[in-house]
Amino acid sequence: MAPLLVVEDLRKTYPGTRKTPPVEAVRGISFSVEAGETFGLLGPNGAGKSTTLGCITSLVRPSAGRVLVDGVDAGRDPSRVKRLIAVVPQTRNLDRDLTVRDILVYHARYFGLSADEREARADRLLAEMQLQDKAGAKPATLSGGMQQRAMIARALMHDPRVLLLDEPTTGLDPQARRALWDTLRGLQQRGLTIILTTHYMEEADQLCRRLAIIDHGTILTLDTPAALKRSLPGGHILDVWVRSGKPVAPQLEALPGVVRLEKVAAAADGSSDWLERLRLFVDPGNGLLDRVLQSVREAGGDLDHVSLTQPSLEDVYIHLTGKELRE
Amino acid sequence: MTAFLALLRRDLVVAGRNGAALLVATLTQPILVVLVFGNILPRLHLVADEFRTVMVPGLMSITMLMAGVQGVLLPLTIDLSGSREVDERILAPISVLGVAFEKVIAGAIHAAVAGLIALPAMMLLMHRVGGVDVKPSWGMLLPLVAACGILSASFGLTMGTRVQPRFSGLLFAVVLGPLMLFGCAYYPWVSLRVLGPLQYVFLLNPLVFMSEAMRLSVTPDVPHMPVAGLLAGMAIFSLAFLISGARAFERRVIL
Repeated sequence: MAPLLVVEDLRKTYPGTRKTPPVEAVRGISFSVEAGETFGLLGPNGAGKSTTLGCITSLVRPSAGRVLVDGVDAGRDPSRVKRLIAVVPQTRNLDRDLTVRDILVYHARYFGLSADEREARADRLLAEMQLQDKAGAKPATLSGGMQQRAMIARALMHDPRVLLLDEPTTGLDPQARRALWDTLRGLQQRGLTIILTTHYMEEADQLCRRLAIIDHGTILTLDTPAALKRSLPGGHILDVWVRSGKPVAPQLEALPGVVRLEKVAAAADGSSDWLERLRLFVDPGNGLLDRVLQSVREAGGDLDHVSLTQPSLEDVYIHLTGKELRE
Repeated sequence: MTAFLALLRRDLVVAGRNGAALLVATLTQPILVVLVFGNILPRLHLVADEFRTVMVPGLMSITMLMAGVQGVLLPLTIDLSGSREVDERILAPISVLGVAFEKVIAGAIHAAVAGLIALPAMMLLMHRVGGVDVKPSWGMLLPLVAACGILSASFGLTMGTRVQPRFSGLLFAVVLGPLMLFGCAYYPWVSLRVLGPLQYVFLLNPLVFMSEAMRLSVTPDVPHMPVAGLLAGMAIFSLAFLISGARAFERRVIL
């Protein structure tokens, strides 16, 4: 079966102004999404996630490349593509002059649904998104989580094949975030194809079947979350904080079982000692922890803190980009 | 077309809900002008009686210009603001130009309604004053009011997309103010012959054609611009503002 969404060598350069140079936001992104799949674009702010999404929804005109939704070229026939997709944008853009219910009904009118269908779907989606009590309220009176659910309800009114969500949980409190994840899981189970951007690792891990980590407008890697984590050298991560008179990284890096070492942070603290935070990609068998401890002792240092963890997506991200995810 | 009509319906419903406020905003000016210039000053013999007849169509065109510009400019400012409400409309199955055109039609309806309310309101205020010679010919008035509405709303689209919201106060003072004073609202264009060639400089002002169109259809006895001339002027200005505004709109909404 052909994929439902195909993005081919997408490029977008925003023209500069007199004071600012042009911005190459997307530099050749390609991926495809199968029907029923949840696909994530993970990356820091400014990585090109929203621009990529904008090109799919035709709100951004690509400089090169193309987007096919169910075989329809978004650049050539945007009106047909708009019927196949629905968007939950990053900014909450509910029609401030209408009530929540009217927002849903008018959205359905834009798409030419019959009166019966409009009313029935609005009732069903208000119930599904637990917004019945707010049906007559204006969007400004809703909490962030409710507004987000109202935007999802609005998006589903015209029964799209693909739902695109741009940072759906940014700005939500942890409880509302989890509630929204449950909502999205419900939509996944119903077979809706979902594409979401996020800069939350946990969100990508929990919801996405496959995800692309992107930065500076290119895809750094693309796979299932489990495969991405397996791809890290060694398979485990030993996070150590070492306090010593001199850096201990070279000794640790040379130990058998340490596949790779990354310096996360180093600082000279008040007592003229070094406090180093090191991330070791390790194969933890055969007394590795003993060797690490011994090596630190021999260098005259103390282990301030140790943790051995399964790699998370964040580790994959840092491994690939060499930096923490910037907010 | 379905999307177009649904968008128009939404805009008219929302505008209708604020109808009273909009009405007050658009009618205050002409009513006060009529009270002073049509009632008080003639009684004090400070202006000629004929002035009342001359200003009625002019005040209609000013009312329509203001209503048309505000009817597009204000909603557009909200649409294009940080919250980007316009995106939902752009994502409806309709072209970007379709969305822009819908805004113009909504603004034109707003302007036409304002103009058609202003006329009887003014006549009512002056019904006991002598020397007012207003004889609307409705067959001509209605299509011309519609044309004035489209011209005003197209102008609003251009202003709303090409002028940043923080300058919109300036827009009213620096652009609309002079347009109204030099828009032949208070004097027929034909009588500007006394100014020599300067008379033709006035033709750069779109309001001139609207005032003359109203003059033709509301006070046919007052000398007015030839029909062909005023129709051509309105058509050229409408088209220019439509194209300029729609292009700017597209640039604002599609990145």
